[in-house]
Amino acid sequence: MAKKPQSKKQDDHIHPFARKFLWLGDEKIIRGFIWVPIIGLIITVMAGFIFPHDPKHAAPWDIWRVGFTWDSFPSWALIGFCAYSFVVLSAEPLFRLLSRKENYYGEEEVPEVIIEPTAEVHHHD
Amino acid sequence: MIDLIFKNPEVLADMFFSNPGFIIIFAGFLCAFLPRNEARKFLVGAAPIAAAFLVWRAAGDMDGARRAIEAGGNEFVLMRIDRLSMIWGYVFCLAGVLNAIYALHEKCRITDSSALIYMGAAVAGVFAGDFLTLFIFWELAALSSVFLVWKGGENAFPAGVRYLAIHILSGVLLLAGAVIYARSKEWDFTFGEAGEYGFLSLQDPGAVLLMIAMGIKCGFPFLHNWIQDAYPKASVTGTVILSAFTTKLALYALARTFAGEDILIYIGAIMTCFPVFFAVIENDLRRVLSYSLNNQLGFMVCGIGLGTELAMNGVAAHLAADVIFKGLLFMSMGAVLMRVGTAKASELGGLFRSMPYTTIFCLIGAGSIAAFPLLSAFVTKSMIIASAMNQHEYIVMGMLLFASAGVMEHSGIKVPYFAFFSHDSGKRVKEAPWNMLVAMGLASLLCVFFAFPWGGYQFLYSLLPFPENYYAPYTGNHVVTQLQLLFAAMLAFAFLKRMKVYPDERRAEILDFDWTYRRLGKGIAVWIDAMWTRLSANLAIIRKDFFAKAGQRLYHMFSPAGTFSVGAPSGLPTLLTGGMLVLVLIVVYLARL
Repeated sequence: MAKKPQSKKQDDHIHPFARKFLWLGDEKIIRGFIWVPIIGLIITVMAGFIFPHDPKHAAPWDIWRVGFTWDSFPSWALIGFCAYSFVVLSAEPLFRLLSRKENYYGEEEVPEVIIEPTAEVHHHD
Repeated sequence: MIDLIFKNPEVLADMFFSNPGFIIIFAGFLCAFLPRNEARKFLVGAAPIAAAFLVWRAAGDMDGARRAIEAGGNEFVLMRIDRLSMIWGYVFCLAGVLNAIYALHEKCRITDSSALIYMGAAVAGVFAGDFLTLFIFWELAALSSVFLVWKGGENAFPAGVRYLAIHILSGVLLLAGAVIYARSKEWDFTFGEAGEYGFLSLQDPGAVLLMIAMGIKCGFPFLHNWIQDAYPKASVTGTVILSAFTTKLALYALARTFAGEDILIYIGAIMTCFPVFFAVIENDLRRVLSYSLNNQLGFMVCGIGLGTELAMNGVAAHLAADVIFKGLLFMSMGAVLMRVGTAKASELGGLFRSMPYTTIFCLIGAGSIAAFPLLSAFVTKSMIIASAMNQHEYIVMGMLLFASAGVMEHSGIKVPYFAFFSHDSGKRVKEAPWNMLVAMGLASLLCVFFAFPWGGYQFLYSLLPFPENYYAPYTGNHVVTQLQLLFAAMLAFAFLKRMKVYPDERRAEILDFDWTYRRLGKGIAVWIDAMWTRLSANLAIIRKDFFAKAGQRLYHMFSPAGTFSVGAPSGLPTLLTGGMLVLVLIVVYLARL
């Protein structure tokens, strides 16, 4: 995810409000983003011991003995991670199977009209 | 009865103001003839507000609000309101106001007019009390909305034709099902009594046709392709308007007719899962959102199938949330399309630098659909999942959880990430126009308000069909498990991205089930046409050849220079003529017996 060098002209056209958030495009921030879900996950898994599943109102996979309680297994975290990974990993074979060239159906691809030319950028409306 | 109405202006006015949809439809027809843009925009904004007032007035006296006329021996119930139709009515009017603000910059008489007629038809359909009235507005919604698709430009024309064809088919099936059903009930077309949910089962006459008709508009698996075909090709404002009404009107009809029908649980669960796989490989972000729309409809169809009070509350609440957050996401991608000229992920990236407000609104919409605590779907979708769990439908519940992680992928991360972050595409454009920002801002506020723990979700819940069925969304366990699911999904994204396994967006046409009619069906039709052309040409040659030869033979036999006149023995013609006469006499004799 290499950061593209920005030309002076491009910098001029950055929205004034966005200037305060340009750090979001910083390489260090992008690489460090992984710590947000890691920390979030650690906190919520620990919170799971304080707020365990109610055994009367829980799915079978929620009831596992972890530590001192039967019902604090972070099953939803496991489902979230596995489901997300499965969906993303299925993308490549699915793309190979289902993708065709853009005008496959032969319905004329007319270029989409750019209503506001990018050259005339003003942020005062 | 009709005569009485037209001779008496008071009765006519009473009928006109009875159904809130009528006033919107009337405003739509008026718009078609108004040359001044300002006047049209006033009507587009004022009509849904006036309709919302009529809904509120009717909700105050639900029994008294009922209006019916008799025509052609049938009773047309023009207005029937209960708590199910009430929330649908409010949500449609709210969406109408937001859409009006979003489209303020657009000077287009066709869009203004068709948007109003379309919205009015949806509102009127929700308050229809019999199948015939529902059918009229069902078809009016289809006919008026196709113009919004066609306003998308030349590319949209074939998609619009397909859209129209499939919706007309849906209407015809609805009418056929209704007629078969009514015939079994001594021609009673009543579309369920007030407060009656799930008055038909699949074993009833005509019910299968009715379910297919509603399933087409709801986007059932294999009937869903019109959504991903037409919505991404409609105009910027058209897609936003379309996303709010058609599918939701069908959901209402399904909830009214088939609540508690088991098969819907599984159809809904499949609907939540399969679009996830298409959305992950789709490049056009408006088409990604169309798959996402399909996925959210799945949650609601599943809830209708579960049919408990909690599930029906979940369906109604999720409808309100979905119309707003899905509208918001389509609005943000519409703004991107308008400014950049494309909504294809492969061409976008880094837009937060030039469209920061749109980015924030899109993130709120993404958070809402992903069901982050304090955002709308958190307090709505969970009711449907909890209902599945309460009914021990654990496989279905597992599918819904899988789909929830999938939602996080395509709408929660993919749409905002590829449009506004990802690699910097270098495109520097203007921020969206002020009216679009206001509409997106209001929608964002509603996303927060619907889940606000102190008075927000309580207000939403007070509008549900079963307000006495209390559901507490902000329990420690619910917040914790939902955050676990979402953080784990985010971790998977960050991890796969770091491992360089997350696929880049590539330009391509992704095949779906519409291949069967857009390619295979079209191919078969073209082949039949070619074969028919060849066959007709060959038949013409054979026919011509046959008659030429037959004429030649006859000439040779019967002409003055023919065989009979020249070469045959003189007794033969006499013999043949006599034989023919005997044959004729026998035939005539037998015919007279």
